[in-house]
Amino acid sequence: MFELDVRSRKPIYEQLVEKLKKLIINDVLKEDEKLPSVRELAQQLTINPNTIQKAYRELEAQGYIYSLKGKGSFVHPVEKSENEEGLKKVREELKQLFAEAIYLGMTTEEIQAILREMEGVN
Amino acid sequence: MIEVKQVDKSFDKEKILKNVSFSVQKGSIYGLLGSNGAGKTTLMRTIAGILVQDKGEVQALGEPVFENEQVKQKLVFLPDAPYFLPQYTVKQMANYYRGMYERWNEERYQKLKGVFQLDENRKIGRFSKGMQRQVAFWLAMSVMPDVLILDEPFDGLDAVMRQKIRQLLIQDVAEREMTILISSHNLREVEDICDHIGILHRGEVLLERDLDDLRSDIHKLQVAFRDEDDAILQSELDIVHHEKRGSVLMLIVKGNEQKVSETVQRYHPVVYDHLPLTLEEIFIYEMGGAGYAIENILV
Repeated sequence: MFELDVRSRKPIYEQLVEKLKKLIINDVLKEDEKLPSVRELAQQLTINPNTIQKAYRELEAQGYIYSLKGKGSFVHPVEKSENEEGLKKVREELKQLFAEAIYLGMTTEEIQAILREMEGVN
Repeated sequence: MIEVKQVDKSFDKEKILKNVSFSVQKGSIYGLLGSNGAGKTTLMRTIAGILVQDKGEVQALGEPVFENEQVKQKLVFLPDAPYFLPQYTVKQMANYYRGMYERWNEERYQKLKGVFQLDENRKIGRFSKGMQRQVAFWLAMSVMPDVLILDEPFDGLDAVMRQKIRQLLIQDVAEREMTILISSHNLREVEDICDHIGILHRGEVLLERDLDDLRSDIHKLQVAFRDEDDAILQSELDIVHHEKRGSVLMLIVKGNEQKVSETVQRYHPVVYDHLPLTLEEIFIYEMGGAGYAIENILV
């Protein structure tokens, strides 16, 4: 399904969370689609099943997936306003990026132009 | 699953283990790290019930291990130099195991024959070091242990075999919740498969933690400031180590990532890079803190 970069400094657990998020956000994994079981994924990627369990728990806490006892984990239908934690994180990241942009001399107009461009895309 | 409480162990007058306590949860893969001569092998042999501790408690599967046949049926220890009966072939050795272990799984043994592709009728003594280790894994995995203790398990194995064996181990952890205690100096490898690690130094446990928690608590930062005001930075953060390379300052900082980044941002760095630490780096800095530092060695 995807590859992990074992050479990367990033913990495997974080890589997993990010990769799965990306798949969900880009609709590669559809709403209510079943994710591979912990066992399957552990064997496929040869990584510790506990690490995968942990990544799934994290994704559940962040509202990206839900789990049914005995059935597995599924992609959560998207409800954009619900994800407070996620929003908070993105807000922080945006702040940092904006600070950097302003610091590097980007004008407010330029930032607004980027924003409009992205709105047009979505 | 494995419970070690305040264990002391001496050989003659030399104290090898000092008040060692740690535990391994069921279905966990625990990496035991340590400096040379820290007592890792002694600790493993004590847990396997080969040695008896002078003081304290050692339990596996809820019972003391020493002289306990029932526990030993379900616990396999693979020493750093595998031992086989002299002049035995793989087949004969398997026969011996079959008679010893109640849970011997013939089907698994036959299946693994295809994985390792070793000639069953050859004397083990004539195999190479790496092949002997494969035989050790072959036999150990056929016993279907609940607890597997591995001392430097990947030593001498080629890259393909390493991957195959890792797959086998992970399969048993995922499907049967086997518990693994693994000691290794190859931190790269430990990092990939363990969920918990413990560091032993001079017979004492220096640190014991969930690997992801450990890694999210320590950071490597590269920062540079326009003015020479990096002195201010050093007063506020929990800095374990710092090094100046030209105008760039390299810091090893402990603490919550968010807080660290907020603090640094307040000083408006021109350069700010945040890198997660590898296990190898964590090991080196923790050891440095315990007085086992790398100095510039010139002989």
